[in-house]
Amino acid sequence: MADLRFAGVRKDYGEVRALRGLDLEVADGEFLVLVGPSGCGKSTALRTAAGLEEVTDGSIHIGDRDVTHLKPAERNVSMVFQSYALFPHLSVEENIGFGLRARGDRPKQARPKVLAAAELVGCEKLLERKPFQLSGGERQRVALARALVREPEVYLLDEPLSNLDAQLRVNTRAELKRLHQRVGTTMVYVTHDQVEALTLGDRVAVLDEGVLQQLGPPDDVYRRPANRFVARFIGSPAMNIFPAERVDGSLRAGPFLFEARPNLPARVEVGVRPEHVQVDEGGEGAPAEVQVVEMAGNETYLHLQAGDSPIVARVGAALRPSVGSTVHVRANAADAYLFDAETGETLS
Amino acid sequence: MLRDRERREYAVMLAPYLIGIAVLIALPALVTFALALTEFDLIRSPRFIGLQNFRDLWEDDIFRKSVRNSLMFILFAVPLRLVGALAFALLLHRKFRGVGAYRTSAYLPTVVPDVAYALLWLWIINPLYGPLNLALGAINGPTPAWLTDPRAAQWVVILMSLFVIGEGFIVAMATRQGIPSELYELGDVEDATPVFMFWRVTLPLMAPTLLLLMFRDTIFSFQANFVPALIVTGGGPPPNETTYLPLFIYRNGFEYLRYGYASAATLVMFGMTALIIYLQWRIVKRWRHAFVV
Repeated sequence: MADLRFAGVRKDYGEVRALRGLDLEVADGEFLVLVGPSGCGKSTALRTAAGLEEVTDGSIHIGDRDVTHLKPAERNVSMVFQSYALFPHLSVEENIGFGLRARGDRPKQARPKVLAAAELVGCEKLLERKPFQLSGGERQRVALARALVREPEVYLLDEPLSNLDAQLRVNTRAELKRLHQRVGTTMVYVTHDQVEALTLGDRVAVLDEGVLQQLGPPDDVYRRPANRFVARFIGSPAMNIFPAERVDGSLRAGPFLFEARPNLPARVEVGVRPEHVQVDEGGEGAPAEVQVVEMAGNETYLHLQAGDSPIVARVGAALRPSVGSTVHVRANAADAYLFDAETGETLS
Repeated sequence: MLRDRERREYAVMLAPYLIGIAVLIALPALVTFALALTEFDLIRSPRFIGLQNFRDLWEDDIFRKSVRNSLMFILFAVPLRLVGALAFALLLHRKFRGVGAYRTSAYLPTVVPDVAYALLWLWIINPLYGPLNLALGAINGPTPAWLTDPRAAQWVVILMSLFVIGEGFIVAMATRQGIPSELYELGDVEDATPVFMFWRVTLPLMAPTLLLLMFRDTIFSFQANFVPALIVTGGGPPPNETTYLPLFIYRNGFEYLRYGYASAATLVMFGMTALIIYLQWRIVKRWRHAFVV
């Protein structure tokens, strides 16, 4: 086991800057999730750690070794690819033992290790099969077992659940978490799915345009977003953000009116999470027209229009106003986030 | 279910192709079968002689030599052509500066007309001023008389076939490009050497295509030596060291006007092709577990 450190890592593809000086430390035994939208640089970061991409500048350390210019095989990492990268002509056993055989193990030497890894992820009954005979979930287990079999210092997982259906994803997510708790090895997990990031990570690193936006425990990232991007990206449905204007010592943000505190920048924005929008069919608050009602089992998402401001509210399943009806919306100042409209930074 | 009108439309659209196959392939094939049982010199009417042509072929030294030469040509040319196509594919499947020019160079000999290609080789192997012997002489290598030395002449015909591998190269390159790059990246992470990756990943994954190319090349190779043997070596040096089945058939049919005899030889060549393909298929079937993807 070892920690993994990115120090000022830059990666350019011609004119495109995929990583712009990434500083990030993954602690020994930690499960860190790199999350961000497509093209934010998260997979690039993972690939530079694996040695599959040369860095343009900066350095990468695993434990006390500077691995920046080492070949992938010399870094002692294992990788799980989004496509699983299973060899279609090899059996599950041969796939899991591929790395061992490549490093010189005889089949007899590899077999006990392959069996142990297969048992760890629950695919020990599939050893004779070929990948085309496996379901998506089984393939994913085999890819995981192959990563586990060599007991590397760091596991690098590139969106390993993205090809699974929703139900299987939820189950596998929990299994992955249990697996990490059992093996206790450093894992870096890349995803664009913020739910996966929040549920899996000991810490979450949010990336956008090659820049680390925030690093912290899931709860922190959700409750105390560093800026407007993190606030919008983390959480589903996304946070409502309104440009704010000062009105007689108050801040008007969309349909909401909050008391303005002193020393605010000239232009600010106010964010309110959908679950903090209080919706009342007949009570107090600003009127808003119901445009779309989305049933999501134990809760309901309401897409509302309050004057010029679109709002999304997350309410209990019991509240189901009809489309076209008018409801009233409110929000507590304590639940609102303030952002500097120029920089996007969160104002404490 | 297709409606009658649709059926008629499809029949009309297929007709030119079907008529072409019938007139240009099926009919001549049937005629060949029939002629093989006759004595026919284009002047007198064909005379039915049963299997006499086949009995004569069996006792014809030149025919036996042609068969042996053809089999030896296939034995060397097919694997070498396959290895050549695979080597080019592995070298040139990646994108790098100038790769387009290299790929074009690899393919170019395939589009040169056969006769022009043969004439070019006549110059290359000229013992006095040909660049091949000049180059070999410059490094104190052997400078064989390519057209009078029996072994050298056979190698010339094989050598000529090794540069006309454009189609195999393109198919093999497309197959190699179709193997996901993640498999090789995983190999990098897992410390797999290029040799290990070649034997354990690249070759098995390309094997179905390479086998298909081998079948196709075997059929092709039975016929591919006709122009080199006719123009470059003239079937010699004596005694008939580069006379292959196509040249034997051509000479008997068009020079000696023995159409019945040439037709019988054509059927033998057809039968040999089918037999070799069948044997290859049996081998592949037996070892298919190694290639199942």
